[in-house]
Amino acid sequence: MKPAAAAALLCLLVPSACNQASNDRLASPVTIVGDAVPAPLEGRQGDAQRGQQVFTSRDSGHCLLCHQLASLDAEFQGNVGPPLTGIGDRLDAGQIRYRIIDAQTIWPDTVMPSYYRTDGLRQVGEAYKGAPALNAQEVEDLVAFLETQTD
Amino acid sequence: MRRLVALALLLSACGGQSGEYAQQSQIPPEAIQSGYTFLQPETQALQDDDFANPGFLWVDKGETLFNQIPETGAPACASCHAADNRPLSGVAAHYPVMDEETGKLMNIEARINACRERHQDLAPLDHESDALLGLTAYVASLARGVPISVNIDGPARNYYEAGKDYFFLRKGQFNLACSQCHNDNWGKKLRGDTISQGHGNAFPAYRMEWQTFGSLHRRLRDCDSGIRAEPLDYGSATYMAVELYLAKRAEGLAMESPGVRR
Amino acid sequence: MIRISAPDTATAGEIIELKAMIQHPMETGYRRDSKGETIPRNIIKQFRCTYDGNIIFEGEFFPGIAANPFLTFHARATRTAMIEFSWTDQHGERWSEERLLTVS
Repeated sequence: MKPAAAAALLCLLVPSACNQASNDRLASPVTIVGDAVPAPLEGRQGDAQRGQQVFTSRDSGHCLLCHQLASLDAEFQGNVGPPLTGIGDRLDAGQIRYRIIDAQTIWPDTVMPSYYRTDGLRQVGEAYKGAPALNAQEVEDLVAFLETQTD
Repeated sequence: MRRLVALALLLSACGGQSGEYAQQSQIPPEAIQSGYTFLQPETQALQDDDFANPGFLWVDKGETLFNQIPETGAPACASCHAADNRPLSGVAAHYPVMDEETGKLMNIEARINACRERHQDLAPLDHESDALLGLTAYVASLARGVPISVNIDGPARNYYEAGKDYFFLRKGQFNLACSQCHNDNWGKKLRGDTISQGHGNAFPAYRMEWQTFGSLHRRLRDCDSGIRAEPLDYGSATYMAVELYLAKRAEGLAMESPGVRR
Repeated sequence: MIRISAPDTATAGEIIELKAMIQHPMETGYRRDSKGETIPRNIIKQFRCTYDGNIIFEGEFFPGIAANPFLTFHARATRTAMIEFSWTDQHGERWSEERLLTVS
């Protein structure tokens, strides 16, 4: 058996052995491995160009509200969150994915919303009930886009 | 009860799940500053000019209504509140207050409507109507420059604690508490906007976003909408409690109503 | 609601400053409500100021003018007369106020 397969089998049999956990408060179930969610949500394929739209559009993720991305020709980029310039060099796809979908599990006091969370929220606006802030495709598009952000 | 629930939730949480409340934080007293300081110079100039400040359209309206004898022949507000009798100069800086009659917390809007009912035999004015905004603006303008100072002793304490609760409660689809932006991240930028400390000392205010004048409750509803939480009703007990908490938190800041804000 | 700033008195030949503000939504007709429907245009189309019956200032308003429009302009005081400020909207509805200027 190849080492990678053996490790995967071990992880399935003994989750605590490799720091695996599941997360049930999201729009669809995910498996967390360490500080990453390696599997694309709902098995979807992300598109980097659409991801840029999600990142910059006021009607979508609007990540620019809080995060800077030097490669973008957009004015007035926020600084509540850390700059994401070159993020593709620092984090892999799985790590980026986890931070988008449920940052509040990683850092309990963060102001970064958990964009894929649907469970256990209080006083959610009528227009937003029942669905996550970003759907699986939007998350995958963002991950694809941010992966391209390398120096 | 709420604290017990919060504690239970925290204890049952596993591996880094965020609790019901944000961390208790506080802006150091020497760092407290009005939303005015976060405005562009042009906007500040607009607030400072007593003619150009559009809020004065409502202050004028309020002053007219204040002096007007109602159609029913009941006394005008001015006849009880004339200079020496029950002067209103400065009172707005000490609101909200407990109403002795009902035992409820009252902001200026609620007090105006209570006065209408009890002393003028008039129907209450609708929230955000020009008439109620006008009267509120007029009364608030009589406290311009007066440092905010509210009483949170006795029965008011329950409201203060409830307001504080709401301020630190994480809510909405984004699961954020007021404190997280306004205590912990004020001064940082959301796109081109600088996050203020979230004080209410300029309200009721003319907001550029509304292109009209509005109450603090209207602003709180916008705040809740911003984090994708369902806004509460105008005049709700919770928002009233939040007003008291915010006033205590802003203690010492001068009243600026009618303010001009983004 | 209308606010006017105009001096009560002036000396002959003096330049006076006039200010006028009216409460009006100046709805552009380009905004959409929460259901996605266009909010209909509702704007003031004309502002006029007359002094002793003569037009001394006139403006055509378009959707670019912000809500609660505020105007400042100057005039030369010549004789004691009424200064009238008037606004007309797209439906033909008109609002006006006047101030007496006493010139010595």
